[in-house]
Amino acid sequence: MAIELQQVSYIYSDRSLWKQTALHNIDLSIPQGSIVGIAGATGSGKSTLLQLFNGILKPTEGTVKVLDVTLQAGEKSPKLLALRRRVGLVFQFPEQQMFEETVEKDLCFGPLNFGMSLEEAKERARKAMVDMGLDLSLLERNPFRLSGGQMRKAAIASVLAMDPEIVVLDEPTATLDPVSRAELISLLERLCREQGRTIIIVTHRMDELLPIADRWIVLKEGQAAFQGSTQELASDPSILERCGIAIPQSLRYWRAVADRFRLEGEVPRLTPKALAEFIASLSSDISHPEIEKRDNHE
Amino acid sequence: MIETNRLQNLEASEQPAVITLSGVSFGYDPKQPIFQDISLTIAQGQWVSLVGANGCGKSTLVKLLNALLPKSDGEIVVCGLQLNEENIGSIRQNIGMVFQNPDNQFIGATVEEDILFGLEGLCLEPIEMGHRLQVYTDKLGIAHLLDKHPGELSGGQKQRVAIASILAMEPGIVIFDEASSMLDEGSRNELLDILQRMRAEGKYTILMITHDADEILASDRVLALYGGGLAADMTPAELFSNDDLLDKCNLRMPFSWQLARELQKVGINTDVPASEKELIEKLWP
Repeated sequence: MAIELQQVSYIYSDRSLWKQTALHNIDLSIPQGSIVGIAGATGSGKSTLLQLFNGILKPTEGTVKVLDVTLQAGEKSPKLLALRRRVGLVFQFPEQQMFEETVEKDLCFGPLNFGMSLEEAKERARKAMVDMGLDLSLLERNPFRLSGGQMRKAAIASVLAMDPEIVVLDEPTATLDPVSRAELISLLERLCREQGRTIIIVTHRMDELLPIADRWIVLKEGQAAFQGSTQELASDPSILERCGIAIPQSLRYWRAVADRFRLEGEVPRLTPKALAEFIASLSSDISHPEIEKRDNHE
Repeated sequence: MIETNRLQNLEASEQPAVITLSGVSFGYDPKQPIFQDISLTIAQGQWVSLVGANGCGKSTLVKLLNALLPKSDGEIVVCGLQLNEENIGSIRQNIGMVFQNPDNQFIGATVEEDILFGLEGLCLEPIEMGHRLQVYTDKLGIAHLLDKHPGELSGGQKQRVAIASILAMEPGIVIFDEASSMLDEGSRNELLDILQRMRAEGKYTILMITHDADEILASDRVLALYGGGLAADMTPAELFSNDDLLDKCNLRMPFSWQLARELQKVGINTDVPASEKELIEKLWP
């Protein structure tokens, strides 16, 4: 397992009058080399959960195991510097993550900080830029002169430059245009499938992640209301509504077709292309008045 | 769909123009213009989507309208006023802007304070301020949140507060700069609802920067920016039928349109379904 949580609770301002429970008794496991989506309404504890993954927050109760490091509530934590390089966190607002005067300096900051030579760091920076589909000419630019979308890609590149084993992203595609969103999702898919990295993504746009995600974690009021494979989620998406999340279109259309033919245990078709081909295969099995009628007209 | 949109365009074109750009150019650095020689007219009451790939200059263009950024060249007329030093104040009163991240737009310690801040800036009588506070918080369904701190609100609620504080200042033009991009699907639908009610009222000219297919589809007209110029001025339905343009603007069709397209490829000719229920009824009556 890349990450394992056992009976984890997190309470903000514990032992004060203003204590507030953000996570409550969470058990979860994230297998190495998988793509995991995390969904949940605002205030359900998503961001708190992410910060447990590289030791920014330490559990108030329970045990967090990340790679070979164990964080136990109430015990002194081990050295976390190495872990922070191996677990890259991309926050929701890229502008809060960039601070240097050029994009190149910003991208080199992490690698240099973790002890790489300047030359190595620059090489990493260039590779991360190319991976993110950013033009190398932007390296000389002031990061605050980039557009919102470019800044977001640059922020993700600055995390990739550290070559992390686990990449955790909070709403990485918000503010990107649809093609850049699809590119980013397929880049993240490659980082996982080809390089074996574990990818964890918090998202409001489940539609774009559903076709590639292996597993989902759905949070509700600080508890894990659902944890399982995409197929399990697709077999009963109503759990999402109970957690205050609108059911994404791809799941709605898939359910409509699957329910119409009482399909159980079928692998869900969650892209328009896969669904259309599946409908065609169903249609060829049964009589199809609509198709015949249309064909006669033309 | 195309027909009704055309009709609305036709009606709108009889309305007076509220925004006119002639030969407008801009660049942070004169040697690297972001766009050049843009001319366009937007009529009162229209709901216009401004689309284009990341970094093409959409946000920059709308910031020229109220001189948050200085244009390099050309002329801008807003509500009959030439944009210049003298008129900036009156023009800014006519334009309200709602940004991506409502957190950046909060000033007050409570929702009430936040909405009143803008009204105080307009030097209104206390009675009028109270009246507007009531009208606009009712309208956006946030009257019960008046004494809340922004931190206690959900993303969707915050965005509604941001919209209420802008609408309370009663601008004729409201600009939404990717106002839904941080919202979850439920809150996005709420925002779309608010926009539709604003259009029905007819008082507002709406200029909306967006990548969201459903939002574009709901608007009257699309302006597409590409390569430093205006690449298209058309209806949403025309945009989504134009693969080349979708490509240039890094846009994708709505899910239901993509599905209809893919079904056609495998020999099933069906119209774009309005819902999954309609699709099933059409395919297998």
